[in-house]
Amino acid sequence: MKNIIYLLFLISFSITAQTKYFTKTGTVNFEASVPSFEEVRASHNVVTAIINTDNGELAALALVKGFRFKNALMEEHFNENYAESDTYPKATFRGKISNFSLDKLNKEKQKFIINGQLTFHGKTKQLDNTTVEIAINDDIIIISGSFTASASEFDIDIPKVVRSKIASNIDVSFSFNLKKK
Amino acid sequence: MASKKSKRNWLILLIFLALSAIIGYQYIYQDHRNIETEKAEFALTSQTISDEFKLDVLKSEKKYLNQTIEISGTITEVNKNDLTLNDIVFCQFNTSVNQSIKVNSAVKIKGRCIGYDDLLEQVKLDQCTFIK
Repeated sequence: MKNIIYLLFLISFSITAQTKYFTKTGTVNFEASVPSFEEVRASHNVVTAIINTDNGELAALALVKGFRFKNALMEEHFNENYAESDTYPKATFRGKISNFSLDKLNKEKQKFIINGQLTFHGKTKQLDNTTVEIAINDDIIIISGSFTASASEFDIDIPKVVRSKIASNIDVSFSFNLKKK
Repeated sequence: MASKKSKRNWLILLIFLALSAIIGYQYIYQDHRNIETEKAEFALTSQTISDEFKLDVLKSEKKYLNQTIEISGTITEVNKNDLTLNDIVFCQFNTSVNQSIKVNSAVKIKGRCIGYDDLLEQVKLDQCTFIK
């Protein structure tokens, strides 16, 4: 009995010992504009992101309805026809930053490599060798980066009529200021 | 010779084209929803909505996603553009939150439900405003 209690104590201790930094107000922007047509661009300012600084694991979640467009009709079409946010309300990323260590970080931005899975519109895509820049300032970890995704990889069909107005390669950029939990 | 009639036909066509251009423009460049002036579909406490989402996410998403809702609760965190009620409902404001608003005060907030954040186990609202 004593051993079990001791074990439980150890387990709970190891759980609380994990250091996590998080944000509720991360930014994710994407742009699929084509020159000389109206910009296709949205931004999301309430993305949740958590990093486990012991092993570099990063999880991020964006509620799809939180992507805001300048054009209201574009936002409606994005939600109803492309992202189908009623059926797939979440976009998530789960991955790991290679060779991450809290001790390495300083005020200067440093490049790291992140690998993981991006889920959007019910489809999961492996996202490998994405470069992220990481710095730490006043105990706030700042992570930013960008990558390119294509609509077809996520089973999103862009109708012929608008195909010339929406870029097939979508630029996604993100920025998280994570503070200690 | 160009009769009065054909002149009139041209005029009608022109008015028709101008009208469809105006209607088309207004459709394409329509305004965003104004959550602040919309009537709330649901009014409940932060605890109730959080419990509902925890119990059945899919059902609650069907019920609340994209809806304007009124939530009452106690503030547990205030930031520049957002606040959190009872650690379980996150509210984002379009404008900065009045900094005289203090933690522990009871408030009623109207906003649009954008879903359930299972990383932090919080219901998220955007375009929030204070009621009363």
